[in-house]
Amino acid sequence: MQLPPSPARKGAALVAGLALLAASACGSGGTSPAPQDAAGPVELSVSLFGTFGYQETGLFAEYEKQNPGVTIKYDSTQSEDAYWPALQTRLASGKGSSDVQGIEVARIADVVTNQQDLWTDLRDTAAGSAVAGYLPWKEKAATTKDGAVLGLGTDIGPMALCYRSDLLGKAGLPTDPATLAAQASTWQDYLALGEKYKASAPAGSAWTDSAGGLYNAIVSGEQKIYYDASGALVYADNPAVKQAFDTAAGAGSTGLTAKLEQFVDPGWDAGFGSGTFATIACPSWMIGYIKGKAGDAGAGKWNVTTLPGGRGANWGGSYLAIPATSPHKEQAAKLITWLTAPEQQARLFTKVGNFPSTTGGIAQVSATTDPYFANAPIGKIYSTAAQAAPVQILGPDDGVLKKVMTKALLSVEANGVSPADAWNAAQQAAKQQIG
Amino acid sequence: MTLTLSRPEPAAPDAPGQRRRARRSRLHAFEARSAPYAYIAPFFLLFAAFGLFPLIDTAWISLHRYRLGSSMSFIGPDNFAWLFTNPAFYNALLNTFTIGVLSTVPQLLLALGLAHLLNHRMRGRTFFRVAMLMPYATSVAAATLVFAQLFSRDAGLINWLLGVVGVNPVDWRNGSWAAQIAISSIIIWRWTGYNALIYLAGMQSISQDLYEAAALDGANAWQQFRHVTLPGLRPTILFTIVVSTIGASQVFGEPLIFGGGAAEGGALGQYQTLGLFLYQQGWQIGQLGRAAAVAWVMFLMIVVLVLVNAALARRRERAA
Amino acid sequence: MTTLAPRGILVAGPRTYAALAATALVFLLPFYYLVVAASRPMAEMAQSPPPLTPGPLLFSNIAKALDQQNIGLALVNSLVVAGVITLSTVLLCTLAGYAFAKLRFRGRGPLFALAVGTMMIPPSLGVVPLYSLMVALGLAGSLASVILPSLVAAFGVFFMRQYLVQALPDELLDAAKVDGATALRTVWSVVLPIARPGMAVLGMLTFMTAWNDFFWPVIALDTTNPTVQVALAALGGGYVPDTGVIMAGTLVGTLPVVVVFLLLGRQIVGGIVAGAVKA
Repeated sequence: MQLPPSPARKGAALVAGLALLAASACGSGGTSPAPQDAAGPVELSVSLFGTFGYQETGLFAEYEKQNPGVTIKYDSTQSEDAYWPALQTRLASGKGSSDVQGIEVARIADVVTNQQDLWTDLRDTAAGSAVAGYLPWKEKAATTKDGAVLGLGTDIGPMALCYRSDLLGKAGLPTDPATLAAQASTWQDYLALGEKYKASAPAGSAWTDSAGGLYNAIVSGEQKIYYDASGALVYADNPAVKQAFDTAAGAGSTGLTAKLEQFVDPGWDAGFGSGTFATIACPSWMIGYIKGKAGDAGAGKWNVTTLPGGRGANWGGSYLAIPATSPHKEQAAKLITWLTAPEQQARLFTKVGNFPSTTGGIAQVSATTDPYFANAPIGKIYSTAAQAAPVQILGPDDGVLKKVMTKALLSVEANGVSPADAWNAAQQAAKQQIG
Repeated sequence: MTLTLSRPEPAAPDAPGQRRRARRSRLHAFEARSAPYAYIAPFFLLFAAFGLFPLIDTAWISLHRYRLGSSMSFIGPDNFAWLFTNPAFYNALLNTFTIGVLSTVPQLLLALGLAHLLNHRMRGRTFFRVAMLMPYATSVAAATLVFAQLFSRDAGLINWLLGVVGVNPVDWRNGSWAAQIAISSIIIWRWTGYNALIYLAGMQSISQDLYEAAALDGANAWQQFRHVTLPGLRPTILFTIVVSTIGASQVFGEPLIFGGGAAEGGALGQYQTLGLFLYQQGWQIGQLGRAAAVAWVMFLMIVVLVLVNAALARRRERAA
Repeated sequence: MTTLAPRGILVAGPRTYAALAATALVFLLPFYYLVVAASRPMAEMAQSPPPLTPGPLLFSNIAKALDQQNIGLALVNSLVVAGVITLSTVLLCTLAGYAFAKLRFRGRGPLFALAVGTMMIPPSLGVVPLYSLMVALGLAGSLASVILPSLVAAFGVFFMRQYLVQALPDELLDAAKVDGATALRTVWSVVLPIARPGMAVLGMLTFMTAWNDFFWPVIALDTTNPTVQVALAALGGGYVPDTGVIMAGTLVGTLPVVVVFLLLGRQIVGGIVAGAVKA
């Protein structure tokens, strides 16, 4: 939707035009795609944020080779937080977006609820045939009320439990994945193990990384979180949310966490190598993250087992979508179908750790093991988690609510706020933001 | 310094010559009168296009509910009502003030001292002057990234140094005052040299005669500084105070990157400034209407601050 | 602290040197740390105590950074953008600053207040209407979209005005008028030479500010035609941003400013000194 024209804009354009005559306008071309005949050579512009891995795996080059006449112009912004506002600004002005844009799962609910007119319904394109190959909950999230499919899923983030077997061993806890899974099959059992760890752990090492991370892991196993099926906000009354919050706040206030804010605290990054936390709920894409942050010194110290709670859970994953303003919809649809096909998804998993979101892709990786993680059968662990994950009901303000909850939990563990006060503060903040 | 531009006067007056001279002097007069407007016109024209228009459009947006990606709907002053009943706004206001004072006052004092030191005749003068501007050469992102590492609770250099002298490690990120001090130190590090250079330029334009006269009167170095340098620097100091006040009220890059890209400003919002609050509302939560309201409130606030500043300065000048 | 040679000129003593050296150390330490962080593997930076010396990976991280983003193009673009903005700003702001400082004309006070007032607009919100404007002009994604909004800066006008109020004696202007100089001639022969040290300072500060500008360029440009800050924002790659690569890229992005400053800084800084020594 365009900004409604205001009289100021016309006046400004006139003045700007005069200014343009006086000023020097240097610059090379913009990003609008060259007008081309559908049958002739095509340049497809692809704009993504940091986590897709297509460039690193050489998939773009391969597609160009397989499809002579197609050139792919790729650009990526590392941070999704910077990528999204830039994309929205371009969509709002009706120009400047690319043929293929990446959409993160935290944004997809906003897209299908509020932006149906800005994106192409993929059922009308060559990508329509691919929709059936997905895990049902993955594609449902990208489907509007009217059944239009706005994005093809690229990857998912089924969750498991990653742990430092050396640290657990030092504290007298089981280090074998099967035994550990049996002893930590519920969240309460997991926290009981945490108390044992706290009593006999090496100094400076906590059971888990953060209360916010714990909360996220628990709540991601639920179907109904902040919204219900009709789209109404239920975060205030949903017992699942309160229970997850209380469990995490309890862990935070009794010193079971390392008080590290995930992703934004450099201490969290450091913790993978230095052992400031012994366990962490890890989605499949975190496998590569741990390897990078812990480095060679960490090889063999980490292991993977099933997540407590007995249900699958999902955190993360993205989609590829085609803005409605693209002049090359069919070609773009063919590209994204190929990029998200099972074979390519399987390759991405081995190269960069993004877990496939198609059933075919999952089948191809189910036998993978990882030597860094003591040869843990990560393919099997994550496939099971993926199949068991609930069909989460997503809503446009999920991201905001998650941040509010995480912030409140951080105040419990790091600033000594009582869990009850933190919950009230979270409720108030949520109401202020979302109403 | 004299200019030799005078044209030789004609020996005998003649009517056509007189008319020509009259026309030329009319032209000169016109040029002299229009020159000021011509000189300031480019600034105002460019501002009208690229500064005024977004400002007015922002005011227009602030009266709407506008979520990035969807359509605008007119809601009148509701955004402002939301803002003034929101405790997060007052928290941000207070934080902006405290971080502003913590970062601006030491910075300007240090800059003054630094400029005075650099005003000496010495060896390696260029090296020192270059070194002092280096922090400003880094981008906000680069500087804050490095400082976030330095202030890290577990693996940071600063906590390690504190440990060497026997002080417990400080949780810089999560503490209230600790976080504000850390962020203020980033700002001080980045901007002291900048202001020192401005003071230095100002100092260099103070006539040496004044110093000679003071020396002849028996003033020592400190007295000369107080009675010659400081008064001569008054317009410059006022300038830096105004600019620093405006800058301090808009601080948002340092707390944003110190928080790792999260715009909440800490679990308790302990270092969320108004600028960061605006960024959070507009770009992270996507409520551009509310962000526009915050922007306008900030703007009016700064205007009031600067007017007060200017009035105080004028009162002091009149008294002096 | 300072000894005074005859005639009141300040000469630096040992304590002055010590204070300056300490300050220089504090100012330069984070750069050194940047080099350390850029040259070691990510995992090593997580140790406590952190490493204090550079490691072996500097050039390979730089190579990775250059590979991930087109930093060469970004450097050229940034040079163009910052260069044009600097030239334009210095020239236009000196003219405007001179007008406000020394020329008498109707509306001078309110217009100057308005100019200073424009500094108070928080930059981060105007981007949405500004982007639409750029699209309307057909400039989105080109360097012009980043240059145009910054061609003049209220800061520059304010700065040059303060500088000229102080540094430009009225007698010189009166002498020029008596000699019959036109306004333009006065500017060329009287104002500009005196303003030069101030212009140099303004130029340097403007160049650095333009080089480091981040928020608007990230919205207006993309990584096919980036400035340095846009390219750096896109560094890292994958779910696991390699902080070593990011630091290395940041180092590369900062280096040109430092080099320009080192090369020209001596002359600029020297100009400031020269401007002060009156015959």
